[in-house]
Amino acid sequence: MDTILSTLVIFWALTIISYILIQRGLGVLGEVIRGLTMFMLEKALGPGADLVEGRKGSGAKVWIIQGMVWLFASATLTFIGLWLAHDPHALHSLEAWGYNALSSELFYASKFAALFGAVGMFIIGSGLHILPSLLEVDLASEKNAVLTSFVWTISVIILIIGSQSHEIFGLDIILIGTAVNLLVAVAVTANQLLTKANSNATLATPGWLIIFGLIGSPIAIISIIISGGYNEGIGHWLLYHLLGATFFFSSIAGISLYSASFGSGNALWSRTVAGVVIVGTLFTINPIGDVDPKMAVDMLGLSAADITITHQDNVIGSFLMALAAIPIIALSSNILITLRGTDAFVENPDLAGIPEINFGAWMLLPLGIGSLFVQTDYLSGTNELTGISNIIQLMTIWLIFIPLTLGAALQVLPSASGRYPLSQNRARLAFWMLSGGAVLGLILTLISDVTDLALSDALVEDPSSLSHTMRKAGSVIFYGTVLGAIFHSTNMISGLYRGDTVKSQVRLSETTFAPTSYPLTATTSIRKILATGAVLDTEIVPTFESNETGKPTLLHNEEE
Amino acid sequence: MSNDGSGKIGQFLQGEKEPSSSWVILVIGIASALIFLVIYNILYPGQDLPVLSSLLPMFEGVFDSGIWFFILGAMIGAFAILGTILTEATIE
Repeated sequence: MDTILSTLVIFWALTIISYILIQRGLGVLGEVIRGLTMFMLEKALGPGADLVEGRKGSGAKVWIIQGMVWLFASATLTFIGLWLAHDPHALHSLEAWGYNALSSELFYASKFAALFGAVGMFIIGSGLHILPSLLEVDLASEKNAVLTSFVWTISVIILIIGSQSHEIFGLDIILIGTAVNLLVAVAVTANQLLTKANSNATLATPGWLIIFGLIGSPIAIISIIISGGYNEGIGHWLLYHLLGATFFFSSIAGISLYSASFGSGNALWSRTVAGVVIVGTLFTINPIGDVDPKMAVDMLGLSAADITITHQDNVIGSFLMALAAIPIIALSSNILITLRGTDAFVENPDLAGIPEINFGAWMLLPLGIGSLFVQTDYLSGTNELTGISNIIQLMTIWLIFIPLTLGAALQVLPSASGRYPLSQNRARLAFWMLSGGAVLGLILTLISDVTDLALSDALVEDPSSLSHTMRKAGSVIFYGTVLGAIFHSTNMISGLYRGDTVKSQVRLSETTFAPTSYPLTATTSIRKILATGAVLDTEIVPTFESNETGKPTLLHNEEE
Repeated sequence: MSNDGSGKIGQFLQGEKEPSSSWVILVIGIASALIFLVIYNILYPGQDLPVLSSLLPMFEGVFDSGIWFFILGAMIGAFAILGTILTEATIE
């Protein structure tokens, strides 16, 4: 049997077994393991657990806020990588400090910062709020959730250092970063599974997507070890895509489906289509990502191997990747229609987070299909499109992953912290800067890459000045993303202290995550509010930015 | 002129739909940047834009690329985030 199919059969079998165990419990062992896990999550931390209060929602809040800071860091690293692609000696002065900045290394660092810093922290943070909400219980351990967030941040810092210098004092830095990262991932998974075990409520589909996102990555690693594909190039490629499909795609699908319904006030468009996303995510090969599985190979300390693709691997790989278009289309359509409800207009379009989710859902299909072309080209050995793999991966990060996770985080944070962002206007401005900068900047870079690829194929030796100019313009425009990240960060942090308070609790059902309050961000009609499912008792909460003129602060009361 | 008179003129001149200060500053910024680029191109045709080291000779050989303007902007952003965290947490 070939590597792809044998590994996938093990992956599918382990996933189904895990699902059955989660649904039915562990019988008499369940109570023992539950007690032991709770002990490991809190008491085993010793004095560390006393450092935090463990208030409700604090876990989600601290993960999301740290994710915002990583968003800024990843945008800056990507910008510098784009700049160095057209001006390789721009940072030559840093060589005096022994640092030789290379575009490829900066991109590598930016991917760690974006995927594990920003996207990863948004996914986990949002999940820590969404899953307990859907299960109608409190998170098993808020203290553990808060403490592990800082360890995760440390692991991302180690990974970024490792991306610049693989070995320091003979130690494999990326492997150390991965070990710390996995430790936290295990703690978060245990925390979430314990939360699930504490509830008797039926878990809605987005919740299952979040759970499969968490348990899918370790299952993928175990599967590749059992199948023996860990020392083959094709095994590395498959592992990379399984990790992308589970932790990233499945989790993102879960949190964005929940947030689309929660933010718009509309019922989830289709439970069946959401179910298609789950099945499609687990039983196909997601094409999104780079063609080179370097990141997975480095993180797991494997030795890189040349990819040798058998005919059977090629056929099965290409077929299962083509099938991945189904969950991608299902997710995109479910989010887009849920956001719109009964008409063609997005409900509550100016509420922070809604534009991001709408934008990310639009980008899913074109970039999913684009990634499919690049991957099948690579798998078939044609390698005509390998030159644009990096930019396509950057586009999927900045135009799908970050908008969808950031949008979900912006939706979840008010419920977790009890306050809205300081200004909805600033959040909207930040959205335009972030998404506009990413779209225009990366499309110009893509055009430049395609031009260079065409010239290279035509054996033209002189570089194109037009391509160089496009690359320059692309990097400068991408700076809007850095600014957008700064605006979002300051807006969200200030909102934690001075934002409008969230006054009502949410009412949940299996398919509708509608709040009993309707945050009004722009002028709208009563018909449109009623169309969202609001009833006569729904509270309309204006969340406009105040336009009142400022006044001097009174230091004391003057007697007249 | 009496104080009452000047007060009425002030009210008359006050626009009812003033744009927010952030938009005014944003538009002024964009207009200034465009004007600078046009004038620079007229005065120094074909020449690259100045970098930090050409404005401040003490940074010769260090900040000699345009990227440093952007990195300084990002550093200001980083301090803005840090400052927001510290000041919001300690504000009365």
